[in-house]
Amino acid sequence: MDSGEYEEGMVVEFSANGNSMKSTDVEAKLDEGNIHEAESSLREGLSLNFEEARALLGKLEYQRGNLEGALRVFDGIDLQAAIERLQPSITEKTPSKKGRSRADSQHSVSQHAATLVLDAIYLKAKSLHKLGRLTEAAHECKKVLDAVEKIFHQGIPDAQVDSRLQETVSRAVELLPELWKQAGSYQETISAYRRALLSQWNLDNDCCARIQKAFAVFLLYSGLEAGPPSLGVQVEGSYVPKNNLEEAILLLMILLRNLFQGKTKWDPSLTEHLTFALSICNQTCVLAKQLEEIMPGVYPRVDRWNSLALCYSGAGQNKAALNLLRKSLHKHERPDELMPLLLAAKICSEDSHVAAEGVGYAQRAVSNSQGKDEHLKAVGLRLLGLCLGKQAKISSSDFERSRLQSEALKSLSEAVALEKNNSDLIFELGVQYAEHRNLNTALRYAKKYVDETGGSVLKGWRLLALVLSAQQRFSEAHVVTDAALDETAKWEQGPLLRLKAKLKVSQSLPMDAIETYRYLLALVQAQRKSFGPLRVNSQTEDDKVNEFEVWHGLSNLYASLSYWKDAEICLGKARELKHYAAETLHTEGIILEGCGKSHEALATYIDALMLEPYFVPGKIVVAMLMSKMGPKALPVARSLLSDALRLDPNNRKAWYYLGMIHRDDGRMADAADCFQAATMLEESDPIESFSSIM
Amino acid sequence: MSNDPSTTTSSIAGDTTTATTDDTISTATTIPEDATSSTALTSTTKASTSLDSSSSSTSSKPQAAAILSLSAILPSLSSTSHTTARSLLHDPHTSSQISSLLKQPDSGAGDNNLCRWLYDTFQSSDPDLQLLVLRFLPLVAGLYLSRVPLRIPLAGFEAVLLALYAHETASRDGHSITVNVPDVSHPSLYHETKAAAVKSNATGLNLTVISPSLEPHGTVRSTRRARIVGVALELYYTKIYEMPVESKIDFCEFCKVWAGQDGEMYKQDLEKSSGNKINEGKEEGSLGNNDKEGMGRVPLPCELLQPVLRILGHCLLCPNQNKKLTDKASEACRSLYARSMHDINPKAILATGSLLRLANMAFDSTKQDLFDPTDVPKSRVISM
Repeated sequence: MDSGEYEEGMVVEFSANGNSMKSTDVEAKLDEGNIHEAESSLREGLSLNFEEARALLGKLEYQRGNLEGALRVFDGIDLQAAIERLQPSITEKTPSKKGRSRADSQHSVSQHAATLVLDAIYLKAKSLHKLGRLTEAAHECKKVLDAVEKIFHQGIPDAQVDSRLQETVSRAVELLPELWKQAGSYQETISAYRRALLSQWNLDNDCCARIQKAFAVFLLYSGLEAGPPSLGVQVEGSYVPKNNLEEAILLLMILLRNLFQGKTKWDPSLTEHLTFALSICNQTCVLAKQLEEIMPGVYPRVDRWNSLALCYSGAGQNKAALNLLRKSLHKHERPDELMPLLLAAKICSEDSHVAAEGVGYAQRAVSNSQGKDEHLKAVGLRLLGLCLGKQAKISSSDFERSRLQSEALKSLSEAVALEKNNSDLIFELGVQYAEHRNLNTALRYAKKYVDETGGSVLKGWRLLALVLSAQQRFSEAHVVTDAALDETAKWEQGPLLRLKAKLKVSQSLPMDAIETYRYLLALVQAQRKSFGPLRVNSQTEDDKVNEFEVWHGLSNLYASLSYWKDAEICLGKARELKHYAAETLHTEGIILEGCGKSHEALATYIDALMLEPYFVPGKIVVAMLMSKMGPKALPVARSLLSDALRLDPNNRKAWYYLGMIHRDDGRMADAADCFQAATMLEESDPIESFSSIM
Repeated sequence: MSNDPSTTTSSIAGDTTTATTDDTISTATTIPEDATSSTALTSTTKASTSLDSSSSSTSSKPQAAAILSLSAILPSLSSTSHTTARSLLHDPHTSSQISSLLKQPDSGAGDNNLCRWLYDTFQSSDPDLQLLVLRFLPLVAGLYLSRVPLRIPLAGFEAVLLALYAHETASRDGHSITVNVPDVSHPSLYHETKAAAVKSNATGLNLTVISPSLEPHGTVRSTRRARIVGVALELYYTKIYEMPVESKIDFCEFCKVWAGQDGEMYKQDLEKSSGNKINEGKEEGSLGNNDKEGMGRVPLPCELLQPVLRILGHCLLCPNQNKKLTDKASEACRSLYARSMHDINPKAILATGSLLRLANMAFDSTKQDLFDPTDVPKSRVISM
């Protein structure tokens, strides 16, 4: 606008055809309800025609906030007829390339008139909008766009368009979907948005960005499925979204890209909407990519690191997440922020090698959970317990281990005192007690967990069955497993069937066990065949039984029954799936040993240890074979067993053979201690390790 | 996708219906899982998707029958020939009566009249009646999940939920719902790229499943409970724009119960500076009902949380907002944010955190008068 800014109480002037006049008289006439007189004084004063005068009057009324008056003035103009007059004649409707210049000149003549008429209709729509007559307003606003499409049926030309006309068109394009939305006509809203974004309106970047954002928000939250855009607007080879989420994500990504290229202003809500949309569809790794593209300086870097860490952790890339968190928790950044501390501690609690680092984070989280964050203290304590428990697994001395374990139990108990209803915590306590071989308490927690979750979580059933099996209550464990199988859909029964098979073995029912394995095998194979890479499943995601495990289990079972042939066949199948595995070599060794080939067996066992230096069963069998080779080999065997016990202090076989060696060496007291440990452990040995379900 | 999940599941899941849980009522096992009834259901839902479904002022035959049997349960229901499913949907009096019946402690049992009515009415395949049943889904699902640990009979609720699950399974033909996350380096409907010559080879890499394929379920197995409720909520979400505000408020209230976490400490930072006292007051209040709090807390796996968050996003940020609803939705959102912090669930922290910030931004923008780009600026000189 070339005219100065309007301020309240200022006298408004009309200006046209080189003349100008004050609005005071006209306003007085309008206030008396004399539209005709006001109009004629304008026509005389500024030498205007009827429509021009009305348009100016309407604008005055609108500007004065007299919306009803504005509508009365506009009602006097036959806008429909005016639009029709503006349309190019039939011959011009299909302008050939040669006749272009003629058509252009025609346009420049009519642009002035078009501006006037479209302005008037737009103001009418806007008046109706402000009066809350939304549907009428939308119809008027739509007339502006229809008229523009009729007048410029090739799209609005970029260069020669009158700036005022362009402004009106842009406003109308932006207003129409808004009007339909407020009127509650959502289908029309969607078509209006698509019309705004897919036709050529020559909108500026900001206006286009506003419409794109409004549409994305509408798509994300309106709840009405828009359906794919019509085929007419689809271009070969370009991406066409097929549902609301895809369309909204596309628009938000385009907006962000324009933002990065400096075409539009920074808008923090864009990243929030995109964060919501992408985390809803589990695509936090895509989100991470988008966040990484944000220019430095827009967004505090620690916030970015923290968001990125959440994204990566959500996408299962915990290592990347932990690295980012280490940066943001550095003492020069924000070392005391709770969310990153908790997330870091959680990631560390899953890996024994960084568990000690996690203990530090968890302790900081506990001491910083104050004021409004006090409710997070229980979370900090819980993570502290988990990290300590994990750290205990790799500690080098017995003393250290038992100290860490009891500290772990202490913090978990403190946490559960603060947060009685947290079922996850109850589960973790159950596992921790079970690993501590406090089976009665573990059983109580396992039961409580199954009760509180209504049996809805598979791992709860498994813990209960394992604790029962550790108490040597096999038939009860069996009942629990069967109940769990009843509560589980076919596809997710794998871990339970494996458990059942092992239970049958413990109950000395090898034939039943074989039958269960067969069933499990059929399930696993069907699963492999029927699901492509698209399968995302809720509960079995982390512990899906794989085919290798089943063949290997079967092979072990046959070997224990001395069915060497069958064991061999199953082992072959397992080997096809996984070529070099310590487990298969181990079983092969057992078969060889069973067939009386001890030397080959020993060689195979040692191969297994070469593949996996921390393979505990391998160490035990090698030690066992060596101890039979005479007194010279006893020290080697003993150190192998001590090593095995350092890795797995609860291994009863290792204690047993160590006892044998002590006995053979004549150290009776030591031998007795070892045997005692072995018996005690045998009475509390689960059929699968407790840590397998964490 | 070459392999069709629906056909493969049927081959192995064919005999799953034999196993039943403790107290499943007969209705639960007669849920249509065959294709013939499913086509009838889908065709009717398509009819209902047109927004201005011009349901006449007088009720149709199945509607009249359903309303008649409802009046046997609600004696005060004065049904005239003008009472339609649509009018009942928006009738606060009837809704609150049904709600209070549902909230009674033994309402979920298999022999409960109201549950049976909800089940039968949903089976009528009249889209308006189905909407009326869906209106009560927040209550049914909310009460059901919270009552599971109490070990009381819930077969009535389960039957209703299974009916909704079966309906969604049929209308989707068991297929999963996928989202193909776009890659802006390739041209799309809304933008062009300079390197348009590059064939779209990377698209399809980011294909993601937002709702896995559905197997038929004749009973609620406890490990599938969250999934069944989740799918029912997905169905609710597809019709949410037709739902009355009260139904959504019910939903938000149950979100808080499920979260089992008070989220008031995450109330907008604005109030933090001036509101230390308020905070202390709240603290006491929350301690007072601490025992009640967390009573209905349920495990929130992804399959349940995801539809919950989509519905919550709608309640919080849908067009033409209702103040009461947005307030309730913000509360629910804060609770879920607190819960996701307790679970340290990164995806949930991201989603609820951004909803929270968006709600705060919306709250801020309503307080200040915003510039309206579609308004015509006032000028001192009105010219041609």
